[in-house]
Amino acid sequence: MSLLLDVVTTAGVLFAVAMGLLVVFGVLKIINFAHGALLTLGAYAALVTTKLGISAWLAWPLAFVSGGALGLVVERLIVRPLYARPLDAILATWGLGIVISQVITLCFGREVQFARSPLSGTIAILGDTYSVYRLALLGVSVALGLLFAALIEGTRLGLSARAVIMNEDLARGLGIDTQRVRLLTFMIGCGLAALAGALITPLSSVDPNMGVPWLINAFMLVMVAGASFLSLALASLILGGAQVIVSTFVSPILGGMTIVLLAAVVLRLRPAGFGRD
Amino acid sequence: MHRDLLIAPMVVLFGLGSVGAAVGENPIKIGVPVGLSGANSVVAPSVVQSAELAVEEINKAGGVLGRNLALEVADDGSGAAGAQKAFDSLVFQKKVDVLISMETSAARNAGLPIVQRGKTPFIYTSFYEGRSCNPYMYVNAWVPEQQVPPIVDQFMAANNAKSFFLIGSDYAFGRGMLQFTRAYIEKKGGKVVGEEYLPMDGTDWTPIISKLRASGADALITSTAGGAPNVTLTKQLRAAGVTMPYGNLAVDEGTAKSMGGDAAGIFISASYVTSIDAPANVKFLAAMKAKFGGELKTPNDLSVPEYEAVYAYKAAVEKAGSTKVDGVIKSLADVTVDGPRGAIKMNKERHAPLTMYLGQVEADGSVKVIKAFKDVDPGDQCPNLK
Repeated sequence: MSLLLDVVTTAGVLFAVAMGLLVVFGVLKIINFAHGALLTLGAYAALVTTKLGISAWLAWPLAFVSGGALGLVVERLIVRPLYARPLDAILATWGLGIVISQVITLCFGREVQFARSPLSGTIAILGDTYSVYRLALLGVSVALGLLFAALIEGTRLGLSARAVIMNEDLARGLGIDTQRVRLLTFMIGCGLAALAGALITPLSSVDPNMGVPWLINAFMLVMVAGASFLSLALASLILGGAQVIVSTFVSPILGGMTIVLLAAVVLRLRPAGFGRD
Repeated sequence: MHRDLLIAPMVVLFGLGSVGAAVGENPIKIGVPVGLSGANSVVAPSVVQSAELAVEEINKAGGVLGRNLALEVADDGSGAAGAQKAFDSLVFQKKVDVLISMETSAARNAGLPIVQRGKTPFIYTSFYEGRSCNPYMYVNAWVPEQQVPPIVDQFMAANNAKSFFLIGSDYAFGRGMLQFTRAYIEKKGGKVVGEEYLPMDGTDWTPIISKLRASGADALITSTAGGAPNVTLTKQLRAAGVTMPYGNLAVDEGTAKSMGGDAAGIFISASYVTSIDAPANVKFLAAMKAKFGGELKTPNDLSVPEYEAVYAYKAAVEKAGSTKVDGVIKSLADVTVDGPRGAIKMNKERHAPLTMYLGQVEADGSVKVIKAFKDVDPGDQCPNLK
């Protein structure tokens, strides 16, 4: 039973971590390699709430807002001229990630630090005791997924974003301010990345390079998922589940490679991944 | 380039320190290749501070055979490639008389051939996985034979533990420590019910923790890479409600302190903890505080051996009557240093019997010494070296 819980909660963590990257990739068609550094930023937002002695729950909105604010600046200054040059955008965001990490190192130091967790302890569930925080994280992931799916499907911004995804020239011709759509999307993507960073701090250490290992898995999941939240959820569940199963029954070392390997295989067999086309 | 920039001011500093050297003679140069960047960058500054204090004290007291000591610090990048450059430049360009440093195992292994070629005495001051042997090298820190038994014995005696679960990071130190731990547990009649590793950059310990919980083990012993993996594992163990006796072979006092509540109850085993209440340690801590003030990095199990090794070198040179390599190498096995960790003599196959402290982390993050094990033998590390 604990295997089932491990699978779904791992999928929840992966989904949360990859969501911001998916938003940017889905609409803007660029890979934001500063995603790992934004996760780190969010984790330091959690650290700041701990240092200030305010409620650990405030880490979540603080992370989202600071990520979004950074996204605003970055989109204006760095990303905007590069939409037509996705390869240069990769280089630019990669470099940006290094800059963010170094600035964090300068401000907070190189060492591993500790942020308080809003929840701790275990709870009895399905005849087993399980970490409360992992279960809560699963709930938050599902809620965020539903919220943003609703945003895309049900709001004007979502409609515009979808129009931009389908045919940008036509969308612009119809009077949609594509520049604004892009700016908002990038900010939301960055905000979600930072939020995910704050969400994982109770499971992870807080140090200037903590985002890097997460970036690789998030990147693979987004490559497989394409542009939809549903297929990202599916990819997180299948690849994350495979990781847990391989780790449990074969070896955690192979488990660590499972997501990357499976993603490569999936893309070889079906270039569209779990997406529809 | 930035590495040189980093080192330049230090060299200048140490150079200035030796102005006014005794009787116009060249100072005795001590090379310190250490990981100022990379994985060891967290601990390296405390190691350099230890060396600086030792050199200052010795120079104030008249130096060694009338000559002052001078430090040459070089960044080894915490790895093999950086260590080759650092050793090369210290041994062949700076022509240091001795190398005294704490380094990663990878850096040490890369440096040893250069030590051999340059025929330079080398005192290695980092605890490590054991059995590294070289005619020019001495070690004054612990090996698994000294660190592991206190924890295992404690769990078997006080907690009546029979089955153990081992978790580590997948690299030389992690696997080396747990391999020894497994052998020791089995020798003592215990059982290892699981042994699991995660890559060094792994972040998700969930499946391993589920296995641990399913295994029904009485006690847990971990040996991860320092820093992030150690913290991640501990946090996830606590979040999963694991409360069995938990011995951590890789956590130092400083990390334990900053982990606070999550670290509470963890057992650690070390040759140095700041709370040793011997006069030599009290004096050492006061001197460190006086010299570095607010810049002081907490002295630890990796930095204190550096301090003592400088004194060991001084004693060996004085016993041999010169800095000539053969005499120093021979004398290093005979001299005793009374330092913060007690009286230490590197007379056991180039290693030293050490007093080990079994400690438990308290709720406020401080380490309470439960038991001291006097002069624990390092075992047969280098039977082929005298």
